[in-house]
Amino acid sequence: MITRRDIVETRPGADRPRAGTPLIVALGLTLSVALGGAAWTDAVEPSPAPEASPALQAAPAPLAAAAAIPPTMPTPPTAAQKDPWRGFNRGSYAFNGFLDRALVRPIARAYMKITPSPIRRGLGRVVDNLREPSTVLNSSLQGRPKQAVRAGARFVINSTVGVLGVFDVASRAGLERSRADFGQTLGRYGVDTGPYLYLPLVGPLNLRDGVGQVVDALTDPISLATGGLGSDFGAGRLGVTALDYRASADATLEAIAQEATDPYATIQSAYLQNRESVVREATGAPEVLPDFEDPPELPAPAETVALAALSEPIY
Amino acid sequence: MPPAPARRHLLTRLGGVLALAGLAAAARAQPAARRSARSPEAEAFVAVQAQKVLSVLADRSLSLGQKQQAFRRLIDQIADVPKITNFVLGKYARSIEPTQRARFNTVFRTYAETVYQTRISEFRGETLKVTGSVARTPGDVVVASLVLGGGRDPIPVSWRVLGAGAAWKVVDVQIRGVWLAITQQQDFVSTIDNAGGDIGVLIAQLQRNSRT
Repeated sequence: MITRRDIVETRPGADRPRAGTPLIVALGLTLSVALGGAAWTDAVEPSPAPEASPALQAAPAPLAAAAAIPPTMPTPPTAAQKDPWRGFNRGSYAFNGFLDRALVRPIARAYMKITPSPIRRGLGRVVDNLREPSTVLNSSLQGRPKQAVRAGARFVINSTVGVLGVFDVASRAGLERSRADFGQTLGRYGVDTGPYLYLPLVGPLNLRDGVGQVVDALTDPISLATGGLGSDFGAGRLGVTALDYRASADATLEAIAQEATDPYATIQSAYLQNRESVVREATGAPEVLPDFEDPPELPAPAETVALAALSEPIY
Repeated sequence: MPPAPARRHLLTRLGGVLALAGLAAAARAQPAARRSARSPEAEAFVAVQAQKVLSVLADRSLSLGQKQQAFRRLIDQIADVPKITNFVLGKYARSIEPTQRARFNTVFRTYAETVYQTRISEFRGETLKVTGSVARTPGDVVVASLVLGGGRDPIPVSWRVLGAGAAWKVVDVQIRGVWLAITQQQDFVSTIDNAGGDIGVLIAQLQRNSRT
């Protein structure tokens, strides 16, 4: 989820877009990112090759009973606790949905129609490759030197042998992709997610990852080295990234629109679960899962009414 | 073109901060990993049964109708449908009327078959490799796997299974960090909340969505 770093690139002295910048593309693709395609894509895009998560590094079988994770886990927050600004968030969701249907989705689908999928996949790998330096930075901050070195090696190999990242040669050589961002780094050191947010022109977030994205934007080595969004490269990168993310998310967004009974709640759930899984990659903490045997208590009637009042259906 | 002095200065400082932070982090950071038990029985169950699902969906000799029938049979064999049906109702599982529950069971079954088949069919033509498991309790295990092939990066898929010995049932599937049943529960509960607690609204919505 790197593209919004470009949107908030506001370093003093940065050049503004020049006349030659393909503004229409930049505008459309900025909206694409802004409408949450990128955020959603992060929730559904192929995850990096699984690190041998400490939570999945198994102890010898005979230790099973003794080492099993205790069944009693902390109670997950309720919908009202994790989404205290639900009225505002749902309004933003409706607004972004309108813009997506009117502008962004048609652009993304036109791109998908006229661009052969091998080219789209190649561009997607270029986008991913440009994230590697930021992964180096955050993996280092997280105290994960192996991941940092691997991301650095991947960037060097794929940028050269892989023709600017079009081909993921490094994966074939056994250097699987991992990802790291500053929201994950904050989570690694115990910073709580804070409330859920759905922002106009931005999409799903939580407070911690919103801060993380601002920091990622300000510290992205590629952006620092190339002049940020003010440069032609920065604008082009933003456009390609946004288009790739929105196109990648298209099938999933369509499925949610058709299958979910409350798409807002589904996107929120998927986004928050995905971010939790990203942080667990860094911490190795076991996953907190609900009990399948024992459904939760119905809240008191007053709380049910309050929740219903806050939750206006969008579709 | 070499970086401008101001930018070079910034990069140098960034590098210094990074090195210091990395050292400090490495010194203090021992991942909060807890070594957890592995369940070979649950892993074997997933390795065999999940591969069956992928194979059915990949079988080009079957028509769509035949695939759907085979998928339905497999779901009955390997998934704990009653538990899933109860789980997705969340807090409303305790208050639903028996007649509504009967209607919900039927409607959800149709809806879930459509949704799960669509999700899992994304992986057609690919193979499954079990990579580990975590026994949350001896009878509640999350089995991690990778779906390989299809000319793309391996996709991590986890299977939550309940049971013992050779008798296991799947209750949830996690694709790319997102659990399907948990997501459905939050979707459904939100829909019922929005309707002021009226489960009938959810049932009607599921009927509409199953037809699309």
